[in-house]
Amino acid sequence: MDSLRHEKIQKFEEFVDRRLKPDLVHAIAERDKIFDQQKIFSDLRKNIENLEKNSVTSLRTLVNLGSEVYMQAEVPDTQRIFVDVGLGFHVEFTWSEALKFISLREEKLERQIEEYTRLIASIKAQIKLVCEGIRELLQIPEEKTVEGRVF
Amino acid sequence: MGKSEVKGTVTSLSSMFPAEEVQKAAKMVEEKLSEKQNEMNQLKEFIADNTSLINLVQKLPDELHHDIMVPFGKAAFFPGRLIHTNEFLVLLGESYYTERTAKQTVEILKRRGKSLESKVDALKAVMQDLKAEASFFDSTASEAAEGLVEIREYEEDNSTERASQSGSLELETPSVAEADNKMGASEDDEYARIMSRLEELEKEELAAEDNEENLEDEDEDANAVESDGNEDELTKAAEGDGDEDELTKAAFHRKKDECYSYLDHGQRYSESQSRKQLQQFNGKEPIEEMSNKYKHQDLTKQFASTGLTGEPVTKGEISHGQIIQQDTQTLSPSINAFAPFEKKSVQTSKSEFDSSKAFTGSIVEHTQNLDKSSVGTNMTSLQSSGSQPWKPVSRFKMQRK
Repeated sequence: MDSLRHEKIQKFEEFVDRRLKPDLVHAIAERDKIFDQQKIFSDLRKNIENLEKNSVTSLRTLVNLGSEVYMQAEVPDTQRIFVDVGLGFHVEFTWSEALKFISLREEKLERQIEEYTRLIASIKAQIKLVCEGIRELLQIPEEKTVEGRVF
Repeated sequence: MGKSEVKGTVTSLSSMFPAEEVQKAAKMVEEKLSEKQNEMNQLKEFIADNTSLINLVQKLPDELHHDIMVPFGKAAFFPGRLIHTNEFLVLLGESYYTERTAKQTVEILKRRGKSLESKVDALKAVMQDLKAEASFFDSTASEAAEGLVEIREYEEDNSTERASQSGSLELETPSVAEADNKMGASEDDEYARIMSRLEELEKEELAAEDNEENLEDEDEDANAVESDGNEDELTKAAEGDGDEDELTKAAFHRKKDECYSYLDHGQRYSESQSRKQLQQFNGKEPIEEMSNKYKHQDLTKQFASTGLTGEPVTKGEISHGQIIQQDTQTLSPSINAFAPFEKKSVQTSKSEFDSSKAFTGSIVEHTQNLDKSSVGTNMTSLQSSGSQPWKPVSRFKMQRK
């Protein structure tokens, strides 16, 4: 009997370590990527709003040629802006169009983030479940959840 | 010659290097190797980027303006143009930037490329070592599995003391070191013999002082003449200067002439050599004074400047090592560095590899014993491992008649 139990426990532990934990790590990494994207777009939006506010028509920037070697560049007309819409396409926008696009984009990203958050939560729940099962098998007393006063 | 009391041990390789540990070690080395490989790849990427950037920087000043898409953040572009095409802002590190022209920028980038390449070379060397380690571990593991046995024998008489073993060559070095360790018991006997020999030589020296003809080789004259002229330089040179070349040359000349006699006489040569040295100094009057002075001065100097005598000898030895490779059997009875050089004569059978490796330990430590041995009899040589505390162990047969 004992040996069977030990086997089961081992299997559960292996399952947790090999499937669930890497899955969790994966999901968190993907979610972080989307966070980054979100940040990029929100920065872009702020910049465009800034340009609009100050009515900036031409711009001087420093362009990174690689290995932190910069060169001056001039943007004579800032009315047209090309935004990356995914799949390798860049679309020419005016400012207002660009802002609209960016807000749409941000919504989409938020939905993606929510999905990933749910996935992560479910994986965590599964891990907890398996741990509980192991605990039962070992007949370790349950951990008492501290109950706060619920008003 | 001497008694041949043979002691020996037989140890199985597998007991010394347990199989699993060797495999673990091999794995670790492989992991490190792969790490280094990754680093190497990264560095190569950097180098490639650097070269492409150099090309770009060289091409840009060809035009006044370049039409480009100017990035605006990570996800947007503005159409625009590059202006001031000869002005580059280069990051030097630590948030320091500098404005440079295209040419200057190219120079900066080239220097960066050089440092990257030197890093790559260093990494390559490290990887080589790791590979050698890995192969060593593998072969050891296979040998241990086969059940190879290491046999060590050494005689009470230290003339032919060496560790013979059946097994890989790679173990030679550690086994030699271990054999050296085991020779401790016999060292005291040798030391006593050396002391008696030294006394004999001193007596001979005194006797030889009265005689004018005391040269055994014709070349002695030539050598003496050379040494006459060179001695001053040598003494000074050896005293902490960097003129290892002079030291080397003088010693080399002497060596060249003596090497053939060494070949013939083998052990006896070292004896005659020591006598020669004593006699060299004493054979000629001008040298006589010098030799007397030398004995006292130099010894004291050598006491005072232990490290210094060590250093020039070291360097001299390096060049000697090179010279030795050219003339296989060369000895160097240089004034200040008898021990390590003469040690080489015995170890010629062991190949130059040992001596060039061995000198480090021997040089540093031999000066301690100068008070006991006179100049010519500083034959006490050290073991090749160099990790030994210095003991007056001599691998020469000079103390035996």
